[in-house]
Amino acid sequence: MRHALPMCLVLVLLTVFACERRSKADETTSKQDTSILETREARLEQSLASNDSTAKSNKPVARWLLPPELSEISGLALTGDDRLFAHNDESARISEIDYRRGTILKRFYAGEKSLRGDFESITFGDNRFFLLTSNGIIYQFPEGQQGERVDCTVFDTRLGNECEFEGMTYDPASKGLVLACKNVGKKKSDELVMYRYTPGDESGISEITVPQKDVIGKNPWKQVRPTDIALDPESGNFVLVAAQEKALIELTPTGGVVFARPLEGRHPQAEGVAITHDHILIISDESVAGAATLTLYRWPLH
Amino acid sequence: MQVFKKVIDFFTPGDAHPVNRLLTYYIMLTLIVWPLVYFFPVVDRALGGAVVDAPSAGSQMLVDALNGDTVRGFDSELSPRLELTLSTLIILIGVIALMLPVSWVYMATRYNKVHDQQVAQILIFLPLVVAGIIIVVQHSLALAFSLAGVVAAVRFRSTLKDVRDVVFIFLAIAVGFAAGVQALILAAIVSVLFNVVLMMTWRYDFGRGVLEPTNASRWSEPLRELAKKPGANNGAGVPDRDLVIALDQKQAEALAERFDRVHKLVGPVGKKARYNAVLVVITDNLQDAQIHVGQALDDVAKRWRLDEVRTVPGKPTELSYLVRVPKTVSRDDLLTAISTKAGEDIVSSDVQIAEEPKAKSEEAKA
Repeated sequence: MRHALPMCLVLVLLTVFACERRSKADETTSKQDTSILETREARLEQSLASNDSTAKSNKPVARWLLPPELSEISGLALTGDDRLFAHNDESARISEIDYRRGTILKRFYAGEKSLRGDFESITFGDNRFFLLTSNGIIYQFPEGQQGERVDCTVFDTRLGNECEFEGMTYDPASKGLVLACKNVGKKKSDELVMYRYTPGDESGISEITVPQKDVIGKNPWKQVRPTDIALDPESGNFVLVAAQEKALIELTPTGGVVFARPLEGRHPQAEGVAITHDHILIISDESVAGAATLTLYRWPLH
Repeated sequence: MQVFKKVIDFFTPGDAHPVNRLLTYYIMLTLIVWPLVYFFPVVDRALGGAVVDAPSAGSQMLVDALNGDTVRGFDSELSPRLELTLSTLIILIGVIALMLPVSWVYMATRYNKVHDQQVAQILIFLPLVVAGIIIVVQHSLALAFSLAGVVAAVRFRSTLKDVRDVVFIFLAIAVGFAAGVQALILAAIVSVLFNVVLMMTWRYDFGRGVLEPTNASRWSEPLRELAKKPGANNGAGVPDRDLVIALDQKQAEALAERFDRVHKLVGPVGKKARYNAVLVVITDNLQDAQIHVGQALDDVAKRWRLDEVRTVPGKPTELSYLVRVPKTVSRDDLLTAISTKAGEDIVSSDVQIAEEPKAKSEEAKA
């Protein structure tokens, strides 16, 4: 027992020493990190600017592996200044991702920390975020600081019985939201259905329908079930991805098909899409056999 | 495990002290686990990363899948199957590493001579099974209900001999639960604290009654009653016949020794007892304590003798003295004298002074 006290002191000293070493190691890592991040950004800029053969082959310019907290990444949202936000399928935790450097910058919560649901898409417009659940409930909230919980305003589109929602984007032209249906009832099974909806104005809901055969075209798909929708800031067209069909589709605001093509490359389950002002197409994939990913392409595709 | 034991022996040469050995074990475990946590994120997650779902404070660098410039960590991109395999292995090995010292403590800190070997083994197996079950049913209410159904179908009844064994079993379940939800750090804290508290309560005999400091004093009361009985055995009384028959040879010898000792303590029937007090001294410094306590007793006692020296590995020595204390010397006087002479050598001391039996004539008057 008389050795117990010195032994305890040794244990404490070892712990302190370990913590000290860890913090020093973290400092060193931080310097390395900065250098790596700068290299990454320079590499991306170079890839985007190059005009060689690889630029015309629609190969990704960057791909980031996402951490387990985003393994079920379901939607992407770009702010007016092209900052990217993402959320997980089951929690209202929003992560800001620096897609140029490959870092997660901050996380904040919509509503209470325990707020959970089947969240399918996120978008940003008019200085607010909108988070959509599969049954048509929309949570509206402002941007939060790191770790902050922000208050939500909840809207019910009352369209939950009409379709299963999977995608949403903000349309600045109509100052409203466009919601894309993944699955619709049998009556509309031969159409790709989207709704225009302005939060708080249930009477102003309108429908955009596109015949499935027009969307499918010559592609070997039986049906297209979009999993997310984004707005091309330059053309004002809608760009949709469909995970099951591995499809990328561009539609005009009135529903005209610009193109519908297979999504090339490794996209096991494309669940989110976004297009930046500087022509980068971002696609997020849920974790299937490995980590979830964020893949960047030049936009428009060749 | 043999290698581990040898390493512990190396760091605590010849030290039979369980506290030192326990501390050495935990230090070694910390030294092994710390670099693993630092370099292997999967170990970090098994230790508690999965439970701490709160976002990290700073920015987090993502792994570049195209160019692969990972900064730190060897398993940044593990397939889910490999990660599950690794994390399950880490959890189960962690459970064994945490429960081994608990079983040692269980075996070391017994108040009776023997421990239950089954319980000692169960302390290793049970948390493994619990952790496995929790890993399986985690996040699935349906599986949890199924498990409840399966468990309800199994009839299992077992009676534990010692109440303290139940606490050990509960600890095993708690460690298994914590490990199963990938919170080995919680399991570690609970088990380490449990061990430390248990060792301390055992070491200092927490909760031990002052009136029964030694075996001798525990026996003194009933044996005195027996001794008062007139009749055989030189008036010292005869113990219950059935009781004697129920004893084995070793126990009978021990009992006879006790009787002999008590007989010397109380003296022949009708005469004044030779000794009227039992002094218990706890010491880490046996030699000096014996000398100085002897000097103190010479000063205040009419007569005294060292009755028993009781040693338990890892604990201080317990000295029992039989003392004849004069009426003019109170209990406090005796303890003060001991403290003055031998204060530096002893951990604690206590004395039990017997009331003088009333004379027969006084009893008759009453």
